[in-house]
Amino acid sequence: MGCCNAFSWVECIISVFYPSRLQRQQVTMRMRLKLKTVFVMYFMVSFLGLIYALMQLGGQRCDCSDQELSKDQQIAQLKGELQKTQEHIKTSELNKKTDIPRIYVITPTYARLVQKAELTRLSHTFLHVPQLHWIVVEDAPDPTQLVSDFLSASGLSFTHLHKLTPVDRKLQENDPSWLKPRGAEQRNEGLRWLREMGAAAKGKEVAALEEAVVYFADDDNTYSLQLFEEMRYTYRVSVWPVGLVGGMKFERPVVEDGKVVRFHTGWRPNRPFAMDMAGFAVSLRSVLTNPEALFDGNAQMGFLESSFLQHLVTIDDLEPKADLCSKVLVWHTRTEKPKMKREDALQKQGLGSDPDVEV
Amino acid sequence: MPKRRDILAIVLIVLPWTLLITVWHQNAIAPLLAIRKDDGTETRHETGVATDSKEYCSQDKDIVEVVRTEYVYTRPPPWSDVLPTIHVITPTYSRPVQKAELTRLANTFLHVPNLHWILVEDSQRRTPLVTRLLREMGLNYTHLNVETPRNYKLRGDTRDPRIPRGTMQRNLALRWLRETFNSNSSQAGIVYFADDDNTYSLELFEEMRSTRKVSVWPVAFVGGLRYESPKVNAAGKVYGWKTVFDPHRPFAIDMAGFAINLRLILFKPQAYFKLRGVKGGYQESSLLRELVTLNDLEPKAANCTKILVWHTRTEKPVLVNEGKKGFTDPNVEI
Repeated sequence: MGCCNAFSWVECIISVFYPSRLQRQQVTMRMRLKLKTVFVMYFMVSFLGLIYALMQLGGQRCDCSDQELSKDQQIAQLKGELQKTQEHIKTSELNKKTDIPRIYVITPTYARLVQKAELTRLSHTFLHVPQLHWIVVEDAPDPTQLVSDFLSASGLSFTHLHKLTPVDRKLQENDPSWLKPRGAEQRNEGLRWLREMGAAAKGKEVAALEEAVVYFADDDNTYSLQLFEEMRYTYRVSVWPVGLVGGMKFERPVVEDGKVVRFHTGWRPNRPFAMDMAGFAVSLRSVLTNPEALFDGNAQMGFLESSFLQHLVTIDDLEPKADLCSKVLVWHTRTEKPKMKREDALQKQGLGSDPDVEV
Repeated sequence: MPKRRDILAIVLIVLPWTLLITVWHQNAIAPLLAIRKDDGTETRHETGVATDSKEYCSQDKDIVEVVRTEYVYTRPPPWSDVLPTIHVITPTYSRPVQKAELTRLANTFLHVPNLHWILVEDSQRRTPLVTRLLREMGLNYTHLNVETPRNYKLRGDTRDPRIPRGTMQRNLALRWLRETFNSNSSQAGIVYFADDDNTYSLELFEEMRSTRKVSVWPVAFVGGLRYESPKVNAAGKVYGWKTVFDPHRPFAIDMAGFAINLRLILFKPQAYFKLRGVKGGYQESSLLRELVTLNDLEPKAANCTKILVWHTRTEKPVLVNEGKKGFTDPNVEI
């Protein structure tokens, strides 16, 4: 057993099993060869493994957080990040979803101090809604610069229209807001545009229009995002509660056995459709197949909605949404008119604020 | 000879393994960058993919809630490791339009990357309405509350300019920031006070992100004017205030017209809004004069010539038809 000193222990074991020297030599030779190949293979494998590990490490981003980036580099990096995130917002993945019905939102608007602010925060809500097309109708003889610039920068899919309200129907400066129905001409203009588009549509577009929905959204209300998903699948006319309207916390249609039976409102509940403009959506199909359905600008106070809806549907056919009209997803908020006493005083002195600065 | 061969063999065996082990060990020290799985193809009805938990714990567990970042419907924009965080402090109180105001404010905030919303309620306990709203929105938020003692609250609905509203709530948020972030941390942050009824453009948040100390810009519909703005000279420095109402205040600016770098807040831990004895319109000055001088102000919004924030106010809804007993179902949340 002294061989263990001269050679590897493998050969020790061989010598135990193969006592004859020749056999031992042969076996040892074979074993050595085998051992050699084993060694070589093993070496190759571990070498390849090492290369792989090194490549893995090299392929990762190095941990540069400890290094001091120069100021310019930082600024460039931040700008790049900003660009990326802005792109992310604008070219939103929302518009890639073409298999859901489109929502056409008609918003009448008119020039006043808070107009830009109202449209801004409204656009922030709409930017979250996929397949939304915003139809903004100005109460003006021509499209204004403010609204045009705003819409182009908003990142939304839009149509910019305008229609001036006749003087006798227009609210005067000091009239209370409920005196005359507002926005009727503008909404009708929006409907006219939709009907025009519907008539001119061809091919695949016709199918898309079949499923689309029309909603009338005033620029001072507040809309939750769930509302748009509730209204998206409307066959004729769908309805839901509206908060902070009619002198109450909320108004709503009363639903029994899945059908609307009457309207829960504190003011004139016997109207054909005792609802606010924000409380219903109509399918584009209904609008296109009923070309005579328009808002009556001469309607009595509170009957504007009814003047339009009675052409389209009866109370039995209304589709209740928002959990059978038990949740409030839209609020009829109104914005205060900003106090301009000091501005007016300055203007009289000729020292008013720079009119070039758009507010 | 055999000994050398043996040694060679041993070296050849052992060497690759030691190298491998060293490589992987190094790997373990420098952790792999966190991969946020923001699946852009998700449909609306699936809940958030990536849930990143950042736990901000403080000694006073009564006032701090765990901050979670949840991505629902792939909003808000993915969190960037490079952009400074904007900490928006909003005091709020219960009234009929509260949910509406917070909803549309959140709809705006959901577009802003790296925004952390600190909502402080003026109430004895955190209300379920706000708790639920924050959870559903998907924003990165912290929900605090502190009740303003009755003698400091507004009497009824008349606006008494001598009693500043929201002061205690803003101070609580400042205290929370100081307890959560220590001045040695490298986390870049900007602090902005946003009231729940104002209107903010998205550009505003990008303007304030580069604040080094305190940045300022014009605000529309304040002080009885179309807008109030700082006066900026040709060198790009603020030297005065273009206002009619007391332009000689140290900082004649509205709460929505400035933003402060978080480092400055942490560096001056004694700076708070003054609660008592503050004249109308001086609340902003009571904080800013402890932080910065006029010379250090950074004008934004194209040298204070663009309007990026509007001080809108929402009308109080007339609830005459509710009557004494209440006409509508009180269980329905508005």
